[in-house]
Amino acid sequence: MVGTVRKSLLLKGFEMIRIEGLTKRFGSKVAVNNLNMEVFPGEFFSFLGPNGAGKTTTIKMVAGLLIPTEGRAFVYGKDVQVDPVGAKQVVGYIPDRPFLYEKLTGREFLGFVGGLYEMDGKGLDSKTEELMELFDVLDAADFLVEEYSHGMKQKLSFCAAFLHEPRVVIVDEPWVGLDPRSIRFLKNYLKERVRGGMCVFMSTHTLSIAEEVSNRVGIINGGNLIAVGTVEEIMALKASRDFEDMFLQLTAEEEEI
Amino acid sequence: MRALLVLLVAKWRMCLHGIASAKAQSKLKIAVVTLFVIAMWVAVFILFCWGFGFLKRFNPGGVESQLQTLGEIVTVQIISLLFLAVFMMLVFSNVLVAFTTLYRSAEVEYLFSSPLRFSELFTARFVECIVFSSWAIIFLGSPLVLSYGIVYDAPWYFYVVSGALLIPFLLIPAAIGVTVTMLFARIFPRVNRALLIMLGAAAAVLLFLYLERTFDVDKLSGEHVLRAIMDAMDNTQSPFLPSFWLAQGVLSSAVQDLRTSLFYFLLLLSNGLILFRLSLFVASRMYYPGWAALRASEQTKPHIRGKGILGCVDSWLRFIRPRTRSLVVKDIKMFWRDVAQWSQFALFFGLMAVYVANLRAAGYSYLSTPIWKNAVSFLNLGATSLILATLTSRFIFPLISLEGKRFWVIGLAPVKMRELLWQKFWLSFTTSISFTLGVIVISSIMLKLEPLLMLISCGTILLMSFSLSGLAVGLGAVYPNFREDNPAKIVSGLGGTLNFLVSIAYIIIVVGVQAVLFWARAVKLVGEGRTFAAMLAGTVVFVAVLSAVATLVPMSLGLKNLERMEF
Repeated sequence: MVGTVRKSLLLKGFEMIRIEGLTKRFGSKVAVNNLNMEVFPGEFFSFLGPNGAGKTTTIKMVAGLLIPTEGRAFVYGKDVQVDPVGAKQVVGYIPDRPFLYEKLTGREFLGFVGGLYEMDGKGLDSKTEELMELFDVLDAADFLVEEYSHGMKQKLSFCAAFLHEPRVVIVDEPWVGLDPRSIRFLKNYLKERVRGGMCVFMSTHTLSIAEEVSNRVGIINGGNLIAVGTVEEIMALKASRDFEDMFLQLTAEEEEI
Repeated sequence: MRALLVLLVAKWRMCLHGIASAKAQSKLKIAVVTLFVIAMWVAVFILFCWGFGFLKRFNPGGVESQLQTLGEIVTVQIISLLFLAVFMMLVFSNVLVAFTTLYRSAEVEYLFSSPLRFSELFTARFVECIVFSSWAIIFLGSPLVLSYGIVYDAPWYFYVVSGALLIPFLLIPAAIGVTVTMLFARIFPRVNRALLIMLGAAAAVLLFLYLERTFDVDKLSGEHVLRAIMDAMDNTQSPFLPSFWLAQGVLSSAVQDLRTSLFYFLLLLSNGLILFRLSLFVASRMYYPGWAALRASEQTKPHIRGKGILGCVDSWLRFIRPRTRSLVVKDIKMFWRDVAQWSQFALFFGLMAVYVANLRAAGYSYLSTPIWKNAVSFLNLGATSLILATLTSRFIFPLISLEGKRFWVIGLAPVKMRELLWQKFWLSFTTSISFTLGVIVISSIMLKLEPLLMLISCGTILLMSFSLSGLAVGLGAVYPNFREDNPAKIVSGLGGTLNFLVSIAYIIIVVGVQAVLFWARAVKLVGEGRTFAAMLAGTVVFVAVLSAVATLVPMSLGLKNLERMEF
């Protein structure tokens, strides 16, 4: 894994995601505190942390769905707050809870999303067909989204995220509601896209998957980034052999402090 | 019983938290909305005070029957009529609310999975149904009772008795509405909400036609007017109607006849409890099976692209750029696939058709003098613009809110909020102008209006379509409610009410200014020549400027709010 990281770091012309002093306060509560980090091209970055640590808040600020109280987030060199349209052109986002337009069919929903990215005509149709087949929702393409199961909605949001060939994919806990076959497919698909130069920024609680797929991981607790590096580098911090033990130790210490 | 209490306490806490969360909103927003709500209450109160005061003094022939003047007799009849209207509205609103509360709410599934006794579960939903369907009626009914009490010097306990009578009264329409809903949901699980709403709509149109026939306009002239009113009112005074019991109970306490009030209170209470018991019985047999059947019969019909009108909309709108087109097509499809939306739209146009059809009966004889010509012309303009305001308030205002929890899809896409807001505006403008311009042209022709008045009417409706669309879209973006998926509930919120009130105020100013000018011409206060032309030009400029302000200010405020928004 370390070898892959070194290789990907060589690829970096600039950072795909750059976060500078990112802070988000909700009233007096500090959800994210002065976060600084980068994610590079061809890198699978996993963002870990306990519930309420600030993962989703960070992800939403990078995706341009929340406005930072302080600091800046750059995607593909574009400040998300200054040039939101430019930044959003290259981002694909998959939320943890896929709220979709229930009264559209799956195919119509993808047509709608494609339209938002100024996609049109046969190109959009063939891409829609290809992705729906890939994510195994083609059979339900002409049924209303309200009839989809949670897993199918999740797969449909993946189709929507990849429709415009994004360079950066931001994923918030993507494994919920997916069956084991779909999880395996998704892991392989994301790894394959990363090999092709895309960058994946994923938030998850599933440590085993993060350990398996990530080039680097970041651990956030109480809004503070407490560790960043490869899985091996982070495990070395606590001289631990087990990633889960290390994660629990690290986050427990922070809470005690 | 304990579980029921736990449920109700939880609901009460949620309600308090809802109120407390208002503190987090902009102070200006809270102040403006509160001010408007109070102003509306006060306006209704003053209107009732004035009306009751007028009727109290009204006694043209000096007739006195058992110490009552003619005006007082008419007052009693009017109150009975109002209570009957309230009763009918409550039944209708309970049918609609019951469907959401008992069958559609996600909470019901959780409650069915909990170890609640069935009667407790049903009673909790029943109470919620009463609260949701009745709060607005209580809000608007309170100035009526208060003004009556003040005008007729009622004793202090009149207000207490009125409040006490209202509780068992509310039970009756709720029990009827809930029972009807359960019967329909059980008998027709496949056609569920569409059928219920269409039946309700048909009932509303029939009621409207019945009232219209009862109040025959031709009779409302000269010496027949009172007899016509009294005849019509007698129909609302059946002793079998709960609204009659409420009216009698309230009015008796005003003249210190507490024995009669108590009788009607007990009559309402016994009937209310029996009907509630009946609905509980029906629920024990039909609620759970109906709920389960509805969930099992969700439609699974594919919607093939290119088939049907909705399947072709996209190809018909090819001339619009893809981004805007996808937003427009999405809005149209979401609208037509929501049964509650299109069925209310159908009801709306049914009433509009009734209005246009009735213009023929408006009596051309009234149009013989210029004053009547002007009056009818501007009343027609006022009525059409009210139709337009209802259209924009009910169907356009909730458009932004309806993006709801799905706003992240648009928030994430490279779409500027300006584009989104103006797309909603143009969608609103094109749909509303196509209907209202048609109505104003047809009605103007039917009323045989002079060309100038017809031109003024059409021009005003065109400007109003801009401004009322701007108001609804703009204020919809200033006061979005992303938590609610039901457009009817979004509209009944504070933002929706504010939008409707501002729209009405705008209409009154625009129609009023023009009506006054043409009235002045009709009574020769202003000559036909240059003076009138100059004043007309001034009025048109004023209306155009006001319309531009009414369009652009809310749109710009809405845009600012959307750009600040987090998803």
